[in-house]
Formats: sequence, C-alpha cells, structure tokens
Amino acid sequence: MNHKLCTLITVTASLFLGSVAVSAQALKPAPAAKTSTWTVGHTPDGQPDLQGTWTNATLIPLERNKTLGAKEFYTEQEKAEMDAKPRKPVGSALVQHYDLAQFGLDRTQGKFAQNLRTSLIMGPEGRMPPFTAAGQKRIADERARVKGHEFDGPEYRNLGERCIVNNAAGPPMMPSGYNNDLEIVQGPGYVAITQEMIHDTRIIRLDGSPHISPEIRTWRGDSRGHWEGNTLVVDTTNFNDKVSFNRIPVSRDMHVVERFTRTGPDTISYQFTMDDPQTWEKPWAAEIVMGTAPGQIYEYACHEANHSMENLLSSARNLEKEAAAKK
Amino acid sequence: MKQSKTTAVPRLVAIAIFSVVVCQAQTYRAPRTADGKPNLNGIWQAMNTANWDLQPHAAEAGPIAALGAIGSVPAGLGVVEGGTIPYLPAALAKKKENYAKRLTLDPEVKCYMPGVPRATYMPFPFQIIQSQNKILIAYEYASTERLINMGKPIVPPDSSWMGMSNGRWEGETLVVDVTGFNEDTWFDRAGDFHSESLHVVERYTPVSAEVLNYEATIEDPKVFSRPWKISMPLYRRAEKNMQLSEFKCVEFVEELMYGHLRKQSSK
Repeated sequence: MNHKLCTLITVTASLFLGSVAVSAQALKPAPAAKTSTWTVGHTPDGQPDLQGTWTNATLIPLERNKTLGAKEFYTEQEKAEMDAKPRKPVGSALVQHYDLAQFGLDRTQGKFAQNLRTSLIMGPEGRMPPFTAAGQKRIADERARVKGHEFDGPEYRNLGERCIVNNAAGPPMMPSGYNNDLEIVQGPGYVAITQEMIHDTRIIRLDGSPHISPEIRTWRGDSRGHWEGNTLVVDTTNFNDKVSFNRIPVSRDMHVVERFTRTGPDTISYQFTMDDPQTWEKPWAAEIVMGTAPGQIYEYACHEANHSMENLLSSARNLEKEAAAKK
Repeated sequence: MKQSKTTAVPRLVAIAIFSVVVCQAQTYRAPRTADGKPNLNGIWQAMNTANWDLQPHAAEAGPIAALGAIGSVPAGLGVVEGGTIPYLPAALAKKKENYAKRLTLDPEVKCYMPGVPRATYMPFPFQIIQSQNKILIAYEYASTERLINMGKPIVPPDSSWMGMSNGRWEGETLVVDVTGFNEDTWFDRAGDFHSESLHVVERYTPVSAEVLNYEATIEDPKVFSRPWKISMPLYRRAEKNMQLSEFKCVEFVEELMYGHLRKQSSK
C-alpha cells in the first residue's frame, strides 16, 4: 500500500516538474555577464558551485510598467541613461524612522547585480496573470478581515513583522526593503540556503526522494532539488494556507519551481515559476540576478527583539483607553 | 581494611571501562568527505534529559499541573563531568531563583534561540552540512542555525544568541570555539545560566558510523569558579526518509507573549 502510494507521488511530481521546466526554458534569460572565459567551479563532491554570500536586492520592479508594453529588456544605452539619473531612496515614510544609510535602505548607495530586464516577470506580458475567482475572493476576504483591525492583535500584522517568515526566504525568494543577504552552503546530497533576515535555513534534498506527506503543511514548503547540467532545479510544495507572496495570500496548492544557474564569478541567475491554480489563471515566471554580497551572514534575532509588536499593540490599547475616557 | 577493599573494587572496574572507551575512540577512523575531512554530515540528536537539567536529577512534577504526566520532568543521570556545576556563591543563588521562576524566565518558553551548547541537546534533531570553508549546523528548533567559520578566525563584532563559531580540525575531531554571547540564554530548564563572558569550546568526535561524541567545555569567570565540561553521545537519525521538519514556534507563543495586549471585544 505504502509503496504504491510513494511511487505514484514520485511520478506525478516529476511529470509536473518537467512541464513547468519546459515553460521556463522557453523564456529568455537575462543576457549573461561578459566574462566568456569563465566556467563554473565544482564542489569536492562534484556539484556545480553556488556557494558564497549573495544578495538578491534589485531595483527592477516585479511587474513591468504598462507603458513599456512587451519590451522585456532595455538596450545598453537606455540602461546607461537610466543609471545616470539620481536614484530615489525608498519610501519617504521610512525616512522618519530609520537612518537609511545605516540600514542599507538608501538605494543611492546600494550595490546591485546589473541586468537589462524591464521587470522581474519574464516574457512579453511582464506582469502577473489575472487572479482566478477563488484568488480574488481570498484576497478580498483577507483585506476585509484586517480592515479596521490592524492593531487588534499579532495575527493582523504581516508575517515579517511577526518574525514568522520573511518575504526574502520564500520560496520564491523575493527581495524585501532591506537586507537581502543569504548564504549558500553545499554538502554531499544537499544544498542549504541560509537567509539572514529573521534567520532561516532551507535545506534542499538532492536524493530524488518524493515530497513529504501532503498532510504536512509548512510556512516554507518542502523542497526537493536536482541538477540539470549546471542548473539547480528546486521543486517546492506542501505550503500551509497562511503563506503570502508579496502580501498576496496564496493557496496551499502553490507549487514553486526555482532554477539557480551560476552565470559568472559574481552572479547567479535565479528564476522561479509560480503555479497556483487557486490564485492565478496560469503559471508565471520571473528572474532575479543575484550578486555577491561582501562579508558574511550575521545573526538576525527578529523575534527575540520584537519590541515593535509589544509597543504597537500597547500603544493601540492606550489610545483606546484615552478615547474611552474622553467620552 | 574492609573499607579500603570495598572502594578499591569499583575503582578497578572504572579504570577497565574507561580504557575500553578510550581504545574505541582512538581506533575509529571516520569516513572522509571528498576533500579528506572526517565526514560529520548527517542528522543528529541527543537522547537524554540534559535540556531539563544538566546535573543529575530525579523525576519530578512539572510547573503546570494541567499538563499532568505530559509536563512532568524525566529523570537524568547528568551530563556534567564530576556531577556538579561549579557556581560562584552569588551565581548559585541566582540559579535557584531562575529555577523557581522558570516558567516565566526560561527563554525556551518564549521560543528564543537556545544558545550553545543548549541547541545541541534540545529534544529536536539538527543537521550538519559540511562544505570546505563553512560548516552549517541547522537546528529544527526555532529555525536556528550556525555557520561555523573554518577559515581565519573571526572576532565577533557584537554579542548574539548563538555566538560566533570558529572551527578547526584536530585529527578526527571538529573543535568549535564559540564566543560573543549575550547573557540571555540558559543551559537548561533548571535555570542554569551564564553571563556575556561565556566561552564554549565544543568537540565533535565520531566514535562509530552512527554516533558522535559531543563535549563542551564551559568557561565564564563571572559565574563559575572554574571551567567545567559536559559530554554526551549524539545519535544519527537513521530513518530512511529523515529530514528536519519545520518548528517555527514564534506563532505558538504569540498568545503567551502578546495575548494581554489584544483588543478585547467591547461589551
């Protein structure tokens, strides 16, 4: 019984993986770095070497500006002209709270791996496909749940503020406002990705084993990887129904396929395909070029020092008391 | 005469057992990684009650009556060499106070990172992933991890929960020097504690394909009168489908930590 079930799961997973991989391959990758003589190194046990400290910070928007139409890449000249203009720091609201330079929020100082994409989302559309009816309903329900209750309790705050999971950890690993540093460590049979923010390590098994039981649902899913040439392909399922992508509440059926390809000494092409038929009308794919980050990963004790949560809730309760006293 | 006889016998037995263990430790040579280092890769777990209390202790009722037998404390023979932690007098008083207030003071209750060496003997598995320049230890508990630097030692820039780990090989043994701790972690649920001057030296030595011997020497002149040592075996989790599971306990402690700050529905 058990054996049959296992076989069935393996076959389904690999078929699915195959079909998604084809659609991702059909998309154009960002033009590779100009170091044509460079070839990828290997770890002692023979894996293409992705190791090091990386950042996936980017200035490229997830979705393409509609005025650009189907234009997927800027020309070198257009890019140079854009780079010559002064960059704006991130949202002005943050300026009141943070020393932007200290926290790496000042994008005029930031170091980013360069590429010519007009949007992270690949292909002529450059935007997320429309939401399904179920997806629209879920998004509307979540907004309605939170509206007017933003300061009622921790479950009304976003997952990052609660120090449960960070957007950057994913999968897919989406850059967030600041600190997009991560470290990749490879050992025999495994690739591990340690995210500095909130501190989180994803361990990717390369042994061809099937995903864990569909009864087990998690914040970060269950990742299985394999090498296709020099590309690490990672298949992730088993998400719980509380996960969000860029603040979009996705479904537990979300299936993410990521492709990591080292394209130079200082760059990794990181592509991911999002397939959640309960949320989007069709799968879509994006690419982020990750660059090397100087230095090392340090400890980020998010929950241990989450005074913000306590301050935010107690301030709200105090304001309510004051308001009640005035009545 | 009689007394000396009775003490001599157990001593002889003790010496005999000790020499057997030493022989085994010296003769076992671990399989090598592709770059020639002892291969510690795997998923490991301690199987003892050190997380309840490092020192020898009898079983007792837990601090929450509602949990009954589930919340009670299992006994343990102790993992401290010599049996007793050498506290300075004032520190011993603080340990006793910690124990009395453990339900509110133990950082484990709040899902805080457990520190070193406690992370090793929490009742959860952990995984070692060995590369050339870094050795990653990922702990299931609270998604905690350590990246052990195997290169030129790094001086910790600030204090932290898990400290700064600098590793080196001594024959079959991975030696990890850990400094740069804050004073917020405990060693166990019994209130055993340290200051920010804590210095831990860990030794991971494979003694068979399935067992690592783990030792940690603990030094903190503000709390202890001398360095002291714990040791225990770490067992390989042998299940064929074994992998670390997700234990993100932050969500599980929100009610405990913030429940009193929730908006109460108006009556």
